[in-house]
Amino acid sequence: MVNGYLAETLQEALAIRARENVVPYSGGTDLMIEPDEEATYLFIHKIPELKTINEDPEYLRIGAACTFTELLEDARVPGILKDAVAQIAAPAIRNLGTVGGNICNGSPKADSALILFATDAKLRLASTRGERTIPISEFYLGRKKTALQPDELLIEILMSNTGLSNYYYKKVGARNALAISRVSFAGILQVEGGKIINCMTAFGAISDVIIRHKEIDALLVGKTLDEAKTVKKVYLGAYDQAIAPIKGRISAEYRKTVCMNLLRDFLETNGI
Amino acid sequence: MEKISQSTKKKDHEEKISGRALYVDDHVMEDMLHGRLLRSVKAKARLVDIILPDLPSGYFVVDKNDVTGVNRVHIVLDDTPVYAEDTVEYVGEPILMVVGPEMKEVERILNAIVVVYEEQEPILDMRAAETVFFHYNYAKGDIETAFKEADRVFVETFQTGYQEQAYLETQGIIAYPHNGRMTVRGSMQCPYYVHGAIAKALGCKNQDVQVVQDVTGGGFGGKEAFPSILACQVAVAAQKANKPVKVIFERREDMEFTSKRHPSISTYKVAVKSGEITAMDIEVLFNSGAYTTLSPVVLQRGLICASGVYRIENLRVTGRAVKTNTVPTGAYRGFGAPQTFFAVEMMMDHIATALGVDSLELKERCMVKQGDATSTSGKYHFHVPLPEMVARIDQLADYRAKRKNYQHQTGRYRKGIGLSIFFHGCGFTGSGERDIIKAVAKLRKNADDTVEVLASNTDIGQGLKTTFCKIVADTLGIPYEQVLIENPDTDRVPDSGPTVASRSLMTVGGLLQRAAVRLKQEWKSGEVQVIEERFVEPDFVIPFNLKEFRGDAYPTYSWSVNAIEVEVDILTATTKILGAWGIFDVGVPIDLNIIQGQMQGGLLQGIGYASMEQMDYNDQGIIRNNSFSDYIIPTAVDVPHLVTEILNNPYTHGPYGAKGAGELPLVGAAPAYVEAVENALSVSIHKIPFTPEDTMRVLQEANQ
Amino acid sequence: MMIEFTLNGQTVESAAKANTRLLDVLRHEFPLTGVKCGCKEGECGACSVILDGKLVNSCMIALGFVAGGNITTIEGYRETERFAVLDKAYAAVSAVQCGFCIPGMILASECILAKNPNPSEGEIRDGISGNLCRCTGYNAIVEAIHIAAREGKGLW
Repeated sequence: MVNGYLAETLQEALAIRARENVVPYSGGTDLMIEPDEEATYLFIHKIPELKTINEDPEYLRIGAACTFTELLEDARVPGILKDAVAQIAAPAIRNLGTVGGNICNGSPKADSALILFATDAKLRLASTRGERTIPISEFYLGRKKTALQPDELLIEILMSNTGLSNYYYKKVGARNALAISRVSFAGILQVEGGKIINCMTAFGAISDVIIRHKEIDALLVGKTLDEAKTVKKVYLGAYDQAIAPIKGRISAEYRKTVCMNLLRDFLETNGI
Repeated sequence: MEKISQSTKKKDHEEKISGRALYVDDHVMEDMLHGRLLRSVKAKARLVDIILPDLPSGYFVVDKNDVTGVNRVHIVLDDTPVYAEDTVEYVGEPILMVVGPEMKEVERILNAIVVVYEEQEPILDMRAAETVFFHYNYAKGDIETAFKEADRVFVETFQTGYQEQAYLETQGIIAYPHNGRMTVRGSMQCPYYVHGAIAKALGCKNQDVQVVQDVTGGGFGGKEAFPSILACQVAVAAQKANKPVKVIFERREDMEFTSKRHPSISTYKVAVKSGEITAMDIEVLFNSGAYTTLSPVVLQRGLICASGVYRIENLRVTGRAVKTNTVPTGAYRGFGAPQTFFAVEMMMDHIATALGVDSLELKERCMVKQGDATSTSGKYHFHVPLPEMVARIDQLADYRAKRKNYQHQTGRYRKGIGLSIFFHGCGFTGSGERDIIKAVAKLRKNADDTVEVLASNTDIGQGLKTTFCKIVADTLGIPYEQVLIENPDTDRVPDSGPTVASRSLMTVGGLLQRAAVRLKQEWKSGEVQVIEERFVEPDFVIPFNLKEFRGDAYPTYSWSVNAIEVEVDILTATTKILGAWGIFDVGVPIDLNIIQGQMQGGLLQGIGYASMEQMDYNDQGIIRNNSFSDYIIPTAVDVPHLVTEILNNPYTHGPYGAKGAGELPLVGAAPAYVEAVENALSVSIHKIPFTPEDTMRVLQEANQ
Repeated sequence: MMIEFTLNGQTVESAAKANTRLLDVLRHEFPLTGVKCGCKEGECGACSVILDGKLVNSCMIALGFVAGGNITTIEGYRETERFAVLDKAYAAVSAVQCGFCIPGMILASECILAKNPNPSEGEIRDGISGNLCRCTGYNAIVEAIHIAAREGKGLW
């Protein structure tokens, strides 16, 4: 085909990626909004390794070219990710759009990426030079800027197999479908034996990249819920300092207030 | 239900559901060129120079110098240039068009053109406007005394924003010269408006212009006057190139640069004595944008509706439509009425709160009834079914109980319910129908005894082909299938006026009914017969004097009561719509399904107007909400519980008792929605759209 | 260099560039004008087609993506028995107004019923939530899909 390659195996795709200046095309729903007529696409949606979901003792391994619909239809995908994916656009877009594309587009509004941030997911990147697996937080360098090298492909997303069941998720859009996130928030609180063993939160659509402050969340870890209450003010205060939404169509003030409201509600619904 | 109201398969169902219907962009002609407009990027500037690149053969640049007639689009006052002359008055004003065989090359040429502007200071804010395009005022009673004697005087100001029609099919026109004539076809509501405009711009005789309406993917007013502008531009291009030229707008181009609902600011001063409203002094300001287009008539309707459905003995209404350096605003379903109905309904609500009574109670006390005077000292000649509508909506929505229960809530989710009462004046304002339009409609009986409807009114989705044919078939006593109707072609149909103002069915449908009665009497099987009918004003009408705004602005009114229930999440300030109920009197429905479809669609558009449809320009005069992702309209999951009912209230002078329907359902949704939000949060609201950001602001103010 | 795919049951090929919008190829090359263009941003659903059994926006697809794929547009679907049921159901409640969203809406209806022959109102509304309609307020369309589910027993 002219201006395109249809890769059938990962090996073939990586070889083309190494050799030519191509744009990886997974679901296409971000690329086609403003298509570049000069672009040569590398279609990767038929590569078996990128289309499967596997489980190992530690991780759920999601092929990067799995569509949102495929995630929704797989029983192993955790609820927090399904909740977010179910609210993306509408069925026809969910049938095309992929989790890998959502990540590689580099947008802070990406609804699946928010969840992967909040859950400290890892990304497996490959090239003919070899492979590397990095935390998603290291992948995002800035607005629309990622750590993906010109010869690399994102091939797999690794989500923890455990500890994700007690979650809080809220997407604030302009309507109930076909909505782009104006603010989104995800939080996970793991409590075992009366103690918080893990707290992970992330905020989407308010800055150049998704916001994840492990150091602030760590304030709650190791504490009982009652002890957590004593640092609640400090915790919220730290986020109040840390969150500074950038200007957009929707005012920074509004988005800041919603972020803080949801964060507080996340604590309170967990008894903190 | 009357027999005529029983639903029939729509005349246009088959071609549309099968995908066979051809909209303007689906037509391809031999040697056809594609055009795209070069638009001003400045809100106000003098055009100093336009530097063109070398044009490849077969490509043309078309501008003001190519206009062989008058470089003005005939609308009302004819101030809109076909192509800009020495100045540009808003961002997006068309300067020239590039046409050629390949769109990509057309775009390349457009990008290579350099326009040198001498920028001038634009006026964007309507409050700062210097040019008043239209200024009307009218009064009745003794307003000075009423205010002097009042116990309390309330003054409040209300604002409404743009609303974009957001029809699914963007604007599009094809023009092609042939045998010394110019044929123009495309997406439009009013073929004869386009016809008159083309003749003026090309400077040719009326008979040298033919206009054909293609299947039209929605209009809602947006294809009333605007297609005249685009058609002139395309026809001038086609004349120059001597080839067919097609122009189809991109969605962003359509949203940003075509006419939309007038933003408004209305100030109400209301006198109350002994708990009764004794006077209203109302000032209305409409943002007309850079040219006048339809602003005079939009403003007139807005002003006539300014006192709502209430009996106000002492009334003064002043209105201005002013020029700003922004996109010209124009017709949109409701035509000025949604703006002032929002204001008056909210005003009544706020006064009720201040008086310590429920809003509905105050409204019920002031509601007009049959025989009462209208705002313009005309008369409500017919039964006003508001009391039974209020009773029914209360039953459907459990309004009164909920309204009370929802006061003073705490907690994250807070519910509220609101109600609005409103009318829509049926047909043209004032004597326009009698003095300007002078509608003519025809029936042609063919030799095979089929009967064809010949009228210039267009089916833009509202079901006019079906309702016209039903009236004719039933009156003649022949099968519906035996009555035929095509899309209007000015070579074949008389000028029965535009498809606007909720007039087509009531007025032109009435002419067709009369024609059918005559045809039945004169029926000669196997012969060709043509029956023509002309508009005659009903004799009960008190003639309207536009200078004084006095008399019957409308022969009759369609009535409605809406209730909307919401739930506000105070953490995110987002509002969920739990239910929307509307009860509507549009006379006898000529087809119940069609009327229900109109009511449901209109009500949802009104809810969008109130809640999510936000459009603004920035300090450069550039509209940024120009796509379906930035200008948000309701989807199927936003108002799942939307209930509409029809109240049968036959109109003696409408065909089968029908009156105006299309615009009514949009008019009153906004105040019902906003009242609901007020009810949920115990706040006072003065603007639409009322968005989550606005909600957050009032929540924070309430906290302080 | 041709891109081959199945279109309404026929094997076809296109010489267009792989990065061309499928929507443009369908409308201009084949020319299937039942596929409507409303926004080119995946926001309106007027250009919906069925690709390998799933509803997709043809404006959001580059031609190369469908190589080897199976596409149904309204022009193919209207020849089916299932269409006849939907046609009748939409007619019964006059769910078609301006008609511009309708080809996409019909294909969305098919995908809803293919997934669940007895869909709930919520499933129906979600299934058409990417197909904007400015005319109807959606009630009649939802009702039509309910009717089709009732009348089309065994077809889905």
